[in-house]
Order: sequence, then structure tokens, then C-alpha cells
Amino acid sequence: MLYYRCYALWKTFFQKLGMETVVSAPTDREIMERGTALAIDEACLSLKVYLGHVAALVGRCDYILAPRVSNFGRQRAMCTRFESTPDLVRNVFRDSRQKFLSYEVDAEQKKGEEDAFLEMGKELGCTAKEAKRAYKAAKKAELVQHKARVQKQEQLCRREGMKILIAAHSYVAEDPYMGKTVTDYLKKAGIIPLRADLVDRDAALKRSRELSSTCKWEISREILGGIALRRETVDGIILLSAFPCGPDAMVNELIARRVKDVPLLNLVLDSQSGTAGVETRLESFIDIIRFKEGKL
Amino acid sequence: MAEAKIRSVSFPRYAEYNCAFKYIIEQALGCRYVMPPVLTKRTMELGTKYSPDFVCTPFKTMLGSMIEALEAGADTLFMTHGLCRLGYYGELLEQILRDLGYQFDFINLSDYDMSKKKEYIRVVRRFNPKVNYARFLLQFMEGLRMAEYVDDITAEYYRNCGFDATEGQYKRAYQDFLTAMYTARSRADVEAGYRAAKAALGAVPLDKPQQPLRVGIVGEFYTAMDAFSNLELEQKLADMRVEVHRWMNVTNQFLRYGSGQKNLRVKVRDLSRYDMGPTSTANIWYARECAERGFDGIVHIKSAGCTPEIDVMPVLQNISADYKVPVLYLTYDAQTSDVGLMTRLEAFYDMIEMRKKVL
Repeated sequence: MLYYRCYALWKTFFQKLGMETVVSAPTDREIMERGTALAIDEACLSLKVYLGHVAALVGRCDYILAPRVSNFGRQRAMCTRFESTPDLVRNVFRDSRQKFLSYEVDAEQKKGEEDAFLEMGKELGCTAKEAKRAYKAAKKAELVQHKARVQKQEQLCRREGMKILIAAHSYVAEDPYMGKTVTDYLKKAGIIPLRADLVDRDAALKRSRELSSTCKWEISREILGGIALRRETVDGIILLSAFPCGPDAMVNELIARRVKDVPLLNLVLDSQSGTAGVETRLESFIDIIRFKEGKL
Repeated sequence: MAEAKIRSVSFPRYAEYNCAFKYIIEQALGCRYVMPPVLTKRTMELGTKYSPDFVCTPFKTMLGSMIEALEAGADTLFMTHGLCRLGYYGELLEQILRDLGYQFDFINLSDYDMSKKKEYIRVVRRFNPKVNYARFLLQFMEGLRMAEYVDDITAEYYRNCGFDATEGQYKRAYQDFLTAMYTARSRADVEAGYRAAKAALGAVPLDKPQQPLRVGIVGEFYTAMDAFSNLELEQKLADMRVEVHRWMNVTNQFLRYGSGQKNLRVKVRDLSRYDMGPTSTANIWYARECAERGFDGIVHIKSAGCTPEIDVMPVLQNISADYKVPVLYLTYDAQTSDVGLMTRLEAFYDMIEMRKKVL
């Protein structure tokens, strides 16, 4: 689920260690259905998609990467689903004999990301030195990539035209079968879609406190910070979440109660295959914004 | 400086632990305690009405209970922090209550960095700036002891109450114990209540077969323990003449494993290498323990939308397959009905009873 956030980091790390990486194909109906069949009914849509991707990779590689990312410090936690991922896939795919690879980031237990990667390198039979060099390069690649994406957002911000901020986890916003339909529709309607989570992360973490003083999830805080940073630039905000996302269920409720100056659309995606429902809601949201601005 | 007003503090209903909250608030912190009314359907309706749709059910229960506590005269609400979504309950609960127009003071542990001792003192001072720390510590520990006694007696009660040979003496002894705890004002009261309950429960004649049906309960921290929230599942099972065992309680989860549950994980490492959530290790460990001890069935309880417990389920499915032990998965939301639960429990009971005869 962290693919869109971490792929530069992962890809560079393994490449530097001379390993080949295999990436599953973009989400499609088949992946979604396979994942849904494997998951517990009540699990979130994102987990279902994730399990579908894992199933597509089983048997195609020596190891499948499934990290445990618990937190980056106090009130910088991830949803507990990121804590359970490695054990979850090992249990779900127990009979497939597929080997999984994981690393553990749990800053509150003094397990930082660098140590986690070094340990993973050791498990793969690399020396500490090689692993360290690979991690350094990988981290750099990740930062460069994130910076480039933030810059692109800044450029979009300066463009003329109606702008709508999409507040969503990257694995929802960028997934071709989930959030991307929303971005595509907005673009087609001549609207500039911006992303709340693609902002300078440190600044966002700080600004998130304006909207919520005790929010404990790293990604939610980045989104909150992104909203705080951009709320004056944009014409509307779409709170986009996958059913039934735990953190979003609460954070989005809070945003709706505290952000009163910008039109908000709370859009929850489920595994419906058609896009007509989503399009209708987007269309009426755009109409409302235009009406409000006197352009309709 | 104006005379500091004595706070009237409340914390939502939570299983039978409110007696310990009351003891700590009154004896250790020198505040007044407002006991929230017993949870009812009205509590759930209130909570559900004002909560976001797919937040976990305990949030709705707690919101309802807080509204009822405010109606009962509380001026200060207290909320804990936690490792899952619980850690964010406080801020959202406060916002919802403020939007509704309620006026109160809110003490939210998530506002404090509870890994630092200094912060504990800040919290205590907010309750009562004039608190006597020596007395506070002593009384606080006694409050915790009360919680331990509640856990101990409750566990004993559900193990045996289905086999009461008299007309409800066992249940009366348990209720007398709870009354003693809810009215205790000193260490002597607590100790006397506990000893009396031990003696009273021990004196009731039981009619228990050599090998009774035994069921282990695992699940989410709130719903598995709160009898209102799980529709008195333990009592219902016990009434079918089943020994009901539950490991999960405040004593075991918090008081005995201050430094984490690393030692429990040793035995389940093949199933779960890491903590999958706040209660996963304990639940997986206990489920395997039940399976190995030859229990007839396991019931897994969670509220709708509880992420950590959903993730534990695939592991339980594997335990179930490995040890051939039936597991009943129950999800509770605001609409779960008594009748629906009863039907499922009866079917589960018939099944484990039949297995016991055959095997």
C-alpha cells in the first residue's frame, strides 16, 4: 500500500544491491476481485486491492516485500494495518510457500528506517557496508523524487483556472482503479487537481496542528497540513477515502467540522465497478463551486 | 486566587471498571465522580446519531455515554489515549460535543506525551492543583488493585455461573461484590469486599460435569469486555452450561505486561512475528493456548470496523485449521440484535456439543 510513497526508495535500494525488482501490474478488475476474495469482508478496500497485488506476484519472485511500518515517532504513527501487513500476508498466503521479506520501522521502539534497511540487507546476504550505501542512495532518490513532485504541484498552483484539492492517501489517490478515476474526470472537466499530501512534509506536519492538535497518523497529518497550506489557493476540497478507512473515518469528520470556508466533498470509494456514480457526484460538486463563485 | 472549584469528573461506562475510576477520582484525586448512567439503547441511539458513520462502535457508545454523563451533571470529561484509533477518540469526541453546544472541561491524555513522568504530574494537577502526591500514588495503586479484584472475581464468575446448583445464589454473590466495589471508600472496604466475594462464590454448591464445555473468548479490548456492548455474550454462553474463559482484561493487558508482551510472542512467533496491533499478540497467544488446552470452541469478538482485530482474523483462521477448533467470529455494531446473536450462539453451542460427544 506504500508503493506510491516509497517506490523510489525500494527500487533504488534493491537495484544498488544488484537485485531485480518485479512490480505487479496496475490495479484492474481482476486484481480487485482476487483481493476481495482473499480478504476478510470487513477489511478496507485498500487492503483488498493490496492482497490482489500480492496474489498476482506470488510465484513470480523469490521474495515479496511486505514491510512493517508502525510509526516515525510520537504522534507520527501509521494505521495499525501497516503494522500487521507482514504477518497478515504470511498467514493469508501460508500455503503458497512464497517467501516474504520485511523490514520494521518503529521509532518509538528505537527502530529507525536506516537500521531496518540494514537488517533487511543482512537477511539478503549483503554486507553492512553495501546495504548502507544502497540505503543512502535510495533515501536520496526518494527525497529527490518527492521534491520534484512537490515542485510540480507548486507550478500547478500558480496556473490559472479552477483548482480542487484532493485529500487522500497516496494509495487511494493514485490507484488507477480507485482515485485516478477522480483525477481523470477533473482534468477532463478542465479543472486542475491538486494533491494535499504532495507538500513539503516537515512544513505539513507542523501546519497539521492548526487543524488537529492530537492527530496521531503521519499520513493524515501530511494531508491536514496540506489542507492548511493550500486552503486559500483552492476552490474546493475533495476528501477521498476508501471504504471503510479507519483514520479517514475520523479525520475527515473533523475536517468537515473545522474547515468551513471552502466547499467540501466527502467521497467514499467502494468496490463498485462503474464510474457513473462518482462522476455524478463530482459533476454536482463542480456545479456547486461554479454557482457559488457566480460562474454558472 | 479564587477558590479552586472541585471538579465533577466522568468517564464513559466501561465494563465494570467504573468503580475503579470512581475510586481513583474521588480518593486519589479528591474530585467528585459522576457515574454515567448504565448503558442502554438510548445511549447507543445518541452516540450513533452524532458519530461519523464508519467509526468503530465503541466510539459511538462512548459518545452516548458522555452525553448522558453531561446530562447527569458532569463538568469535566476524561478521555484516554491509545494505540489504535482510540488515541484519536478524544479530540473528535470533544469537537462533536462542543458542536452540539455542551459546555465542559475536557482532559485528553492524547494532549500529553505520556512517555514522560513529568506529564503525568501535569495531568494530575489539572484534575486538582492541590493534590497530595503521596496520597495520590497510594490511592491510585489501590484503585488499580480494585480493578484487579474485579477481573479476578469476574473471571471466576463466568467460569462457574452456568453450573449454579441453587436458585441464582452465584449471581447474587457476584452482584453483591460489584455493589461493594462501587461503594468502597477505603482500602479496608475493597479488601473486605473481595474476601467476602471469594468466600461467597466458593460457598455456592455447583453442579458441574467432569468435562464441561469450555469456550475461550478473544477479541477487541472494549467490546469483548463490556457486557452491554457484546449483548451479554458471556452470560448467554454460561447460561447454556458452558465454562467461559477470557484472558483479555485490564489486569492482564496492562498491569501484568508493562514492558510489552514480548514473552507471549515467543510462543506464537511462527504465526505472528511482530505486534499486528495493540492486542494482537495476546489474542493470538490466547487463542492458541485455548486450542492447545483442548477447549471446545473460541469466540472472537470485535466491533464493526476494528482494523486491528480484522487483521488478526486470518491468523485465527489458521489456528482453527491447525488445531481443528471451531471459531465463531462476531462483529458488533450499533444495530446488532439480541435475537440474531442468540440464534448464532445456539447454533455454535449445538455444534461444539455434538463434536464433544463424537470426539
